[in-house]
Amino acid sequence: MEYFNLYANCQLVKGANMSLLCDLQMRRFYHLPNDTAEVITFLQQHAIEECLAHYGEDNRETITGYIDFLISRELGFKDHQLLPGLTPLDLSWDRYSRITNVIIEYNEAVNYNDTFFQQLFDLHVQGLEIRFYHTIAPDKIRGLLAGFNGTTLRFIKLVLPYNETLDLRTLDKLVKQYPRVKSLLIHSSPIDKQEKIFDESVPVVFFSREINSCMACGEIRTNYFTSNMELFTESQHYNTCLNRKLSIDTNGYIRNCPSMREHFGHVTTTALQEVLNNDAFHRYGKIRKDEIAVCRDCEFRHVCTDCRAYVEDPQDIYSKPLKCGYNPYTNTWDEWTENPLKQSAIAWYGLEDIVK
Amino acid sequence: MSQQILILSQSHLEGTTDHVCQWMNHLQIPYLRVNGEDLFQMQHLGDLPSNSQTGVVWYRRKISSFPAKYSLKQDDFATQYTLKRFLIDEFNGLHAFLFYTIDRQKWMNDPISEDNLNKLHVLALARQHGLNTPFTEVVTTKAVIIRLLERCPELIVKPVSECILVEDAAGGQYKMLTKTISKANLQQVPEKFFPSLVQEKIIKKFEIRTFYLDGTCHSMAIFSQDNRNTKEDFRNYDNKRPNRTVPYKLPDDLELKLGQLMKALGFRTGSIDLMVDLQGNYHFLEINPEGQFGMVSYPCNYYLEKKVAQLLNKSILHEKEIY
Ligand code: SF4
Repeated sequence: MEYFNLYANCQLVKGANMSLLCDLQMRRFYHLPNDTAEVITFLQQHAIEECLAHYGEDNRETITGYIDFLISRELGFKDHQLLPGLTPLDLSWDRYSRITNVIIEYNEAVNYNDTFFQQLFDLHVQGLEIRFYHTIAPDKIRGLLAGFNGTTLRFIKLVLPYNETLDLRTLDKLVKQYPRVKSLLIHSSPIDKQEKIFDESVPVVFFSREINSCMACGEIRTNYFTSNMELFTESQHYNTCLNRKLSIDTNGYIRNCPSMREHFGHVTTTALQEVLNNDAFHRYGKIRKDEIAVCRDCEFRHVCTDCRAYVEDPQDIYSKPLKCGYNPYTNTWDEWTENPLKQSAIAWYGLEDIVK
Repeated sequence: MSQQILILSQSHLEGTTDHVCQWMNHLQIPYLRVNGEDLFQMQHLGDLPSNSQTGVVWYRRKISSFPAKYSLKQDDFATQYTLKRFLIDEFNGLHAFLFYTIDRQKWMNDPISEDNLNKLHVLALARQHGLNTPFTEVVTTKAVIIRLLERCPELIVKPVSECILVEDAAGGQYKMLTKTISKANLQQVPEKFFPSLVQEKIIKKFEIRTFYLDGTCHSMAIFSQDNRNTKEDFRNYDNKRPNRTVPYKLPDDLELKLGQLMKALGFRTGSIDLMVDLQGNYHFLEINPEGQFGMVSYPCNYYLEKKVAQLLNKSILHEKEIY
């Protein structure tokens, strides 16, 4: 008898109506009806013949079609048995740093070399996003980046306002000098376009809208979905937007993310250790997608990120991200800004200007 | 003085060591990392890590490259090469002194066994431990190859030592790879040649890379796609259609035998290569005691770097109990 072996790093996530087959190695995902997912699950216990018998002759063609599809996408293979050595993927998650990602909302008045920042980057932070809401001279950017030279940072993303002096040549020089800068977003640009610099290795996205505060953050869109081992495993246990992440807002206040209401002190007066020892700081990082209303029924929940700063019901921290227009019960995407049920939350957060 | 964990590595291009060290920092496990490059700073032999300070040694690498360039006044390709070899031997002589000054049982892997690992010996030892190995011979004539081809339809030729990168005077680089011999290309084989290792070619269903860590096998199955580039040796990566790499559990009795083999060689850690043929039989291929395990750890989500850090910590605690 023949069996279909599904690779362990191809994970099925079931939603209300649809499922997602996440290929965590090839970083792709496939949106499937739940019926198809059910067949795939059945095949993980039974021979293909048994499956065909179970679903009846009428479905023979459909089912063999599914299997052909899975094989053509290299998601599994046929064999005369379900190979006993092919064990399930361990979905545990851990990292060797207490803070893995940092967001800084830049402010000239803050000293990014003082003790707080030194201690922070000594934790082996891997990713840093620096958001500039106002025009900044290239020299100042360089000075700031030079300050991170001795750290273990692997990835710096710059969010900058459009400025004629920051042409592609200048940016190219900048990233060559500071190769940890791996991505750039230029907002308030006259046109929307995508470029690549540093031998095509660093993407530069020009974005026509203005980003002048953190209010614009937290949007959920399909092109932000990522199917990979890191996100998928973290998402099983933690909040992928806030777990082990720390932000310093424009005014130097320490937060889970710039958009969150609470802060945990100011960089000039608070010791990093105090923040890390504060249970309240870790509270949101523990909220999993599987616990969030609507998201828990959504097939995208482990390729999606999250947002706890803007939620549909500001009184309920377990409610769905406000800025998501997906409905997993009807499988439709709507413009979240136009949803009548979201208007009161939009007003509560003062987001009227953003949604215009 | 309290004893510590000693990590022997190199300062560059050693992601695995860096990764383990980062876990040690995070788990607040103290350690001393000595890179081969550091030996260029020593003032006298007393600067080498001492036996009394050391509780356990994890030996990953010797050195990445010498911190300075040394050359002859009169430059010439051949003597330059001789000098390079000589300096490597000099360096190794100094480095290997540690193998004798630090008690052997403190090393995760017996360093002398590790530095002198012999493929033919490992295969013979594997067979003694009841492991299935591909038929292997060392031959010098075409006549014998012809006879062997009666027995196995295809043979592969690989070095008894390690594959090398060959460089010509113009700086061109050539990588040595595993090659197949069959009746079809037999005419390319000379009548007499340098003693060469030939091995029965196993038609594989998939390959297995196991990272052995102190009694536990962490295995990964590697399915190469129907793709000529990767049929023989999965290290010849094909970027467009990467191999599928998934967690795998070997049968218990096989794991037991591998564990005994590792013990016999004095290794508590190492990478083991196996192959599964179309009938599902396992064939033991080789051991790389200093193999990169990041390539198993990440795809299978095994956190091996963390496990190594924890094992080193456990070993040092255990040492403390003894003293
Ligand atoms: S419903 Fe939740 S999980 Fe689904 S796309 Fe929206 S935010 Fe993501």
